[in-house]
Amino acid sequence: MSASAILELRDVGKVFGDTVALEPTTLSIEEGSFVAIVGPSGCGKSTLFNVIAGLLEPDGGEVRLHDRPVTGATGHVGYMLQKDLLVPWRTVEDNITMAKRLTGRVSSAHRAEARRVARQYGLGDFLRHYPSALSGGMRQRVAFMRTLVTHQPLLLLDEPFGALDAQTRLEMQQWLLQVWKDTERTVLFITHDVDESIFLSDRVLVMSPRPGRVVADFVNPLARPRTVDTLTEPDFVVLKARIMHLLHGGTP
Amino acid sequence: MSVSDTNLASAPRRANRSSESVARKVARNVGVPVLSIVLLLVVWQAIVVGFHVAPYIAPRPYQAVLAVTQNWSTLWPLVLGTIRETVYGFVAGAALGISLGVIMAKVPVLQRLVYPVLVLSQAVPIIALAAPLVLILGFSVTPKVVIVAWIVFFPVTVNVLDGLSHVDQDLVNLARVYGAPRWRTFVQIEVPATATPLFSGLKIGATYAVTGAIIGELAASDGSSLALYQEHANTNLNTAAVYGTTMLMTVIGISWFLLVVGAEVFATPWQRRTVARRSWRRVADQSEGDSAR
Repeated sequence: MSASAILELRDVGKVFGDTVALEPTTLSIEEGSFVAIVGPSGCGKSTLFNVIAGLLEPDGGEVRLHDRPVTGATGHVGYMLQKDLLVPWRTVEDNITMAKRLTGRVSSAHRAEARRVARQYGLGDFLRHYPSALSGGMRQRVAFMRTLVTHQPLLLLDEPFGALDAQTRLEMQQWLLQVWKDTERTVLFITHDVDESIFLSDRVLVMSPRPGRVVADFVNPLARPRTVDTLTEPDFVVLKARIMHLLHGGTP
Repeated sequence: MSVSDTNLASAPRRANRSSESVARKVARNVGVPVLSIVLLLVVWQAIVVGFHVAPYIAPRPYQAVLAVTQNWSTLWPLVLGTIRETVYGFVAGAALGISLGVIMAKVPVLQRLVYPVLVLSQAVPIIALAAPLVLILGFSVTPKVVIVAWIVFFPVTVNVLDGLSHVDQDLVNLARVYGAPRWRTFVQIEVPATATPLFSGLKIGATYAVTGAIIGELAASDGSSLALYQEHANTNLNTAAVYGTTMLMTVIGISWFLLVVGAEVFATPWQRRTVARRSWRRVADQSEGDSAR
C-alpha cells in the first residue's frame, strides 16, 4: 500500500440473497483527500459505507484503517446520512456532544468544544435551541458538527445534502469545503448528483448496479478553491460528460 | 466563503411562545376548560329548573355540591381510600406495563407468546374478575389495586411496545457507528424516543384508573368505600348525594389525569419549547469559560 493511504479495502464484497450488493472491491483512499462516490440507486454505495463503518460484516476481504484491520468493527469513522438524525429531545449543543455521551462522559471541555465549533460555523446563537427550531440547512450543519467533534480522521458522508433545496445545497457545499480545509479530514462523500461529486472532490469513483461495483476512478483536475465559476470550466464539463456517459450505460 | 450568522437566522419555528403574555397563557390553558365546566353546570341547572325535574330524579348542581360539603367528614376518608387504590393501582399497572413493553420489544419470541394473553386479559369483563380476586386476596385494598393495574397496564404496554419498535433504526445504527454499548443506546436513544407513546399510554391508563378503583370497590368492598356510599345514597333516594359522589369521583379522575399531563409537560420540554430551560450544568459551564464569545 502507499504510505499515505488512510483507508484500504481488499476484495471487500457483500451478497444479500441472490443480489450482489457489492462485488469484491479493492480500493485505497489517500489521507486528507476528498473522494466522491457517484452512482444510481442500488449500485452498492451505501453497502460500501456500511461495511467501512462496521455496520455490515463483508462476506470476504478486509477493511484496513491506518494499516490496521477494522473489518466489522465500529467506532472508527465519522458517519452522516441524508437524514440529519438529530435527536429532538436534546439541544443543539447536546446533539453535537452526542457521540461522547453515548460512549463515555461529556466533560465541560467537550461542551466547550461543541460551543466553539458551533460559533465558528455560525450556529452560536442556537446552542440551547431544540432541533425543531432549526431549518433543514442548519440541522445538517449541526449533524455535521456532531460528526466533526468525534475527531475521527475519516468521515463517511452519505448524500448529506440530498434533501436540501438547490440554493441551500450550494451554500452547504462551499461551507463543507471550508470546514474540510480547516480540519484536514479525509472525506468519502456519496451522492447522486454528478455536479456535486465534481465540485467537491479530488477524485470521483463511479459505481454501477447489478452487480454493485466501482466502474471508474477519475482524478479530478480542477483547481482549488472552487467557486461558482468552477461549475462552467471546460475541465468540469469534460469530466461531467465522461461520468454521465458511464452512468447512462456507457463503457469506460 | 464567509461563514456568518446573518444568512442562517431563518428558523421556521421562532420562539414566539415565550413572548406570549403569561395572562393569555393562563386564560387559554386554564380559563377555557374552567369555562366549559361552568357552562355544563349552567346547562344542567337550566334543564332541571326549566323542566321542573323533581329533586329525587335529578338534583340541581348546587344541591349535589352541598350533599358533598355537608357530609365531608364522612366522605373524606372514603375519597382518600379511592385515591389510594387509584394511585397504587396506576403505579403498579404503569410499572408492569412498561416492563412488559420493554421485554416484549427486546425479545420477539416473548412478544408472539405473550401478546395474545394480554389481549385475552382485556377481553375478560372486569366485574367477572372481581369475585375470584376477592377469593384469592380477600376484602383488602389489594384486589382493587389489582383491578386498577389490570386496566392500566394494557395501554401502557401496547404504546411502549409500539414506540420501541418504531425507533429510527438509522439513529440506532449511528450510535453503533460511534461505538456505543447497547445499554447506552437504549437509555439515551430508545427510551427518550418512546416518551411520547409512553405518555399516551399513561394518559389513557389515568382516565380509566378511577373507573377501575370504583368497580373494585363495588365488587370487592367490605363496607366503607366511596362506591358503596353512593349505592346506599341511591337506595335511600338521596339523589343529590349520588350526583355529588359522582362529581367527586370525576374530580379524582381528572386530577390524576392532569397530574400525568403535568408530568409529561415536565419530562418532555422539547415538545413545546424551542429553547431549553436553563440547567445548573449549563449555568456552571457558562460562568466557567465562555469569555471566548
